[in-house]
Amino acid sequence: MPQAAPGTEKLDEHLQEVVRALHGAVKQGVSHVNDAKVMDKAIADSKEILDVIMAGEVKEWLN
Amino acid sequence: MFTEKIELKDLDKMDAEYRDLLGRVLTIQADCEIGGPHLYVETMLPAAPSKLDQLIVARTAAEEIDHFRKVARVAGDMGVDVSFVLSQPNEKRFVDTFRGLITTWEDHAVFGFLIDRVGRYQLEEFYDCSYLPLQRILPDIVTEELGHIEYGYNKSLELMSKGDEQKERVQKAIDYWYVRALDMFGRSGSKRAERYLYWGLKRRSNEQAREDYIREVNPILLSLGLKIPDPLEGRRYL
Repeated sequence: MPQAAPGTEKLDEHLQEVVRALHGAVKQGVSHVNDAKVMDKAIADSKEILDVIMAGEVKEWLN
Repeated sequence: MFTEKIELKDLDKMDAEYRDLLGRVLTIQADCEIGGPHLYVETMLPAAPSKLDQLIVARTAAEEIDHFRKVARVAGDMGVDVSFVLSQPNEKRFVDTFRGLITTWEDHAVFGFLIDRVGRYQLEEFYDCSYLPLQRILPDIVTEELGHIEYGYNKSLELMSKGDEQKERVQKAIDYWYVRALDMFGRSGSKRAERYLYWGLKRRSNEQAREDYIREVNPILLSLGLKIPDPLEGRRYL
């Protein structure tokens, strides 16, 4: 059986949480298309989550 | 030709070439999955034409991040760490298409329509492949990629319905992405591609997959009243 790369499980769990949070934010906005305030908040939340992922500081996520 | 099906526990018994090729293809796939959001999140999340489109940009990115996660897990479990691609600058992406930034909405729409379709082709290469953990993650990923392709197609159509100027802009985006899409299949007659086929890790040669793509995409472009770009102009990998 090969040995897993260090941090494999932790990264998987972290990204799973990120994706869940992102889908939650999007869903909140999409289900309130006529409420600009809720939409704006959903977009801002999505951006905040995505900015962290795009920055790619993997070591920080796993610590 | 290798016809067996391999589980993680069997990998140690496999030829080094098999493990190398599998690690390589998973690394490139992971890089392509995260390479998409890196092309458009920064520019298109704030610039999408409506709030709903902004949220769909975010949802698409979420799905691509999840695809990365699934591929990274398969790679990580076999000892291949692909996490470095999460912080890799765009200019260092494995595939040329992912180097740079998407700066216009028509480019974003056509990217979904043409490039996510190549993504679907790349994933379909692994259907019934010899490595079962890779095969298992495919159905959900492909379903989501189909959604990205459809969204890109619909947005291209929507833009073109706004008049000749918009249609010209979509054509310009098609001209840009079409040759990049064709290049994504790699060189014809590639020796490495032959080894992927031998080990049952892929099912078509680069040129076969590219031909299938052309046969699928060209009629769609014509049906939209768009011109098919010269398939050779600006190509890097023939």
